[in-house]
Amino acid sequence: MGREKASRERKSVPGTSTSAAQTWAGLSRYSSALLLFFIFCAVTVVGLFAIGDLRKAGIDQQNMYAGLVLSLHRIAALEYQTQETRRSTLYALSTTDSNLHVKYADQSREADHAVSAGITEYLANARTPNEINIGKRLERDWSTYLSVRDEVLASILEGSTKEAVDRDLGEGVQSFDRVRQDLAEVERIYDQQASQQLANVDATSRRTIIRVAAVLAITLIATIASVWTIQKIKMTGAIQLAKLQMEFVASVSHELRTPLAVISSAADNIADGLVQSKDALKIYGDTIQRQSRHMTELVDEVLIFAATKDRKSHFVSHTVDVPEILHSVLRQTPELATASGFHVELEIEPGLPPVKGDSSALARCFQNMIVNAIKYSGKSRWIGVKAFLGHAQVQGQREIQIAVRDRGIGIAKSELSHIFEPFYRSPAVVAEQIHGTGLGLSLSKNIAEAMGGYFSVISELGAGSVFTLHLPVAEDPKSQMPLEVRVDGSTEK
Amino acid sequence: MGRLANPLLVFSLAGLLLAGSPSKAPSAAGPPGQPVPNLEPLAIVVNQANAVDSLSMADLRRIFLGERGHWPNGRRITLVMLDPGWPERAVVLSDIYHMDETEFKNHFLHGLFTGEVFVSPKTLSTPEGVRKFIFNVPGAIGYLRASDVDKSVKVIRIDERLPGDKGYKLQVPSRENK
Repeated sequence: MGREKASRERKSVPGTSTSAAQTWAGLSRYSSALLLFFIFCAVTVVGLFAIGDLRKAGIDQQNMYAGLVLSLHRIAALEYQTQETRRSTLYALSTTDSNLHVKYADQSREADHAVSAGITEYLANARTPNEINIGKRLERDWSTYLSVRDEVLASILEGSTKEAVDRDLGEGVQSFDRVRQDLAEVERIYDQQASQQLANVDATSRRTIIRVAAVLAITLIATIASVWTIQKIKMTGAIQLAKLQMEFVASVSHELRTPLAVISSAADNIADGLVQSKDALKIYGDTIQRQSRHMTELVDEVLIFAATKDRKSHFVSHTVDVPEILHSVLRQTPELATASGFHVELEIEPGLPPVKGDSSALARCFQNMIVNAIKYSGKSRWIGVKAFLGHAQVQGQREIQIAVRDRGIGIAKSELSHIFEPFYRSPAVVAEQIHGTGLGLSLSKNIAEAMGGYFSVISELGAGSVFTLHLPVAEDPKSQMPLEVRVDGSTEK
Repeated sequence: MGRLANPLLVFSLAGLLLAGSPSKAPSAAGPPGQPVPNLEPLAIVVNQANAVDSLSMADLRRIFLGERGHWPNGRRITLVMLDPGWPERAVVLSDIYHMDETEFKNHFLHGLFTGEVFVSPKTLSTPEGVRKFIFNVPGAIGYLRASDVDKSVKVIRIDERLPGDKGYKLQVPSRENK
């Protein structure tokens, strides 16, 4: 196996062993669903982006409006309460009733408490140094006015109206004007902030539109590209399939024509009376019989492949003794019988456990492997067949590996990914005029997978190939209950 | 002032005699045979900014009579009274002024006319109004039941006694008596 290390390996594992082309073919099979899924994802992503941006813009707008309304409310409340403070004080001048004096003083004080609370709130929310400075100035000027107001109120309540008026005109008016100027300044700052927030919302809105447009464009381009790619894959696959089918028809025709020509020629000779002796007739009869069998096998192979492709083929699963089938296949393979001087090196590990499968299908599978090895063994005229117990890829499970080796022409690296495709025939073997339908390996792979197994291939161009069939060991060898196995791998009793 | 004061005093006394009605102010000790009502101290209150903490009953009387116009700090004194009919006013009239309503009115009418009285009392309709007035006017002085006093006003000692102290003279029938 030292040579194997240097060689290239290609495994055909169920579910994961498909070649790139098969993957693409599989993808193209589900192209519509994939396309829909892709578009769904794209639309979802775009939608999420758009929703996120719109939400952010909405929040910005809400914040702006809330801030604006709150600011307006604050400034309006401050202005109203400052006016109320002064107005109530002046109302007290209009009466001599001490009870009303007290009432107006109360109103004035309630209003001034509201103003003080408003200023405190403004300072608590002030962020910029300008806002803080103006807030502190307002607080100071308001305090100054209140001290004047208290004196004016005291004078009014004492009954010294003239003194109250003089004090108000002398100090009250000026200090109150300063408060009004401060409030006007606060209002101006609120206006500036509102304008700034409006500009921010505008910028966010523009940014949102650009983002959404960009994401939509990207999605559109990606969608077009994906549709184009999938269509191209489908078209390539269809062209390739059509080409393979044409080659298959040509190949099958050729394969059929050869035995037909032999049979026809033999029949002509017999009909023309050219064959008289009994021995000669026996030779002609054998020839016709062999060619007829060859044709029958060829047709059978095509029919079985067609059946497995349509998933109509059902295998009956039993516990199967691999060495027994191998011996039987080696005995009955006509290519071995006819290929004189061919050396088959058979090595079977003693005590191999049975596998579960359809014996006739497995026999066909082994036969295909052996016939392929014979066909592509080149001048070496040697094949090696080895059956042994190995460890499966799944931990704890065992498998029987049936390896068929040849020292023939080998397979190019680029060919390895295609050899299990139906109808595929390497240009090299076509050039070598090695006959075949291109269905053998595909059919074998289908059978292997139906039995829960898979193929692995090690090959080196010019050095030969090793095709290994991996079959899981039957868990309960005593069980003889037949299981009906479909080629898609599912089972039913 | 002395020349004017004597005729006015005579006039006031004459008015008092003419009125002929004894003071109806409630007394701490009720008539004999009747149950003694529950009493509550009547606090003399000033503005919190007022530096005065204590007054003698004589000074208090002078202030209430309007004979003293300014506090020691120069601030004008503003006297605050409750409307007639309030028990607190009756106690003040009897225990500070020693007058009835008529004498009280005459005193101030006469005093203001002659210039002997510097302060015209402000009359308010509720104890709450009194409290708020005193809170607003730094030179104000008035009276409130101890239970109507809060931190917005300052209670001063009378003859070195606070309301509730033993020997505190100004007492008003408790509202519970009603």
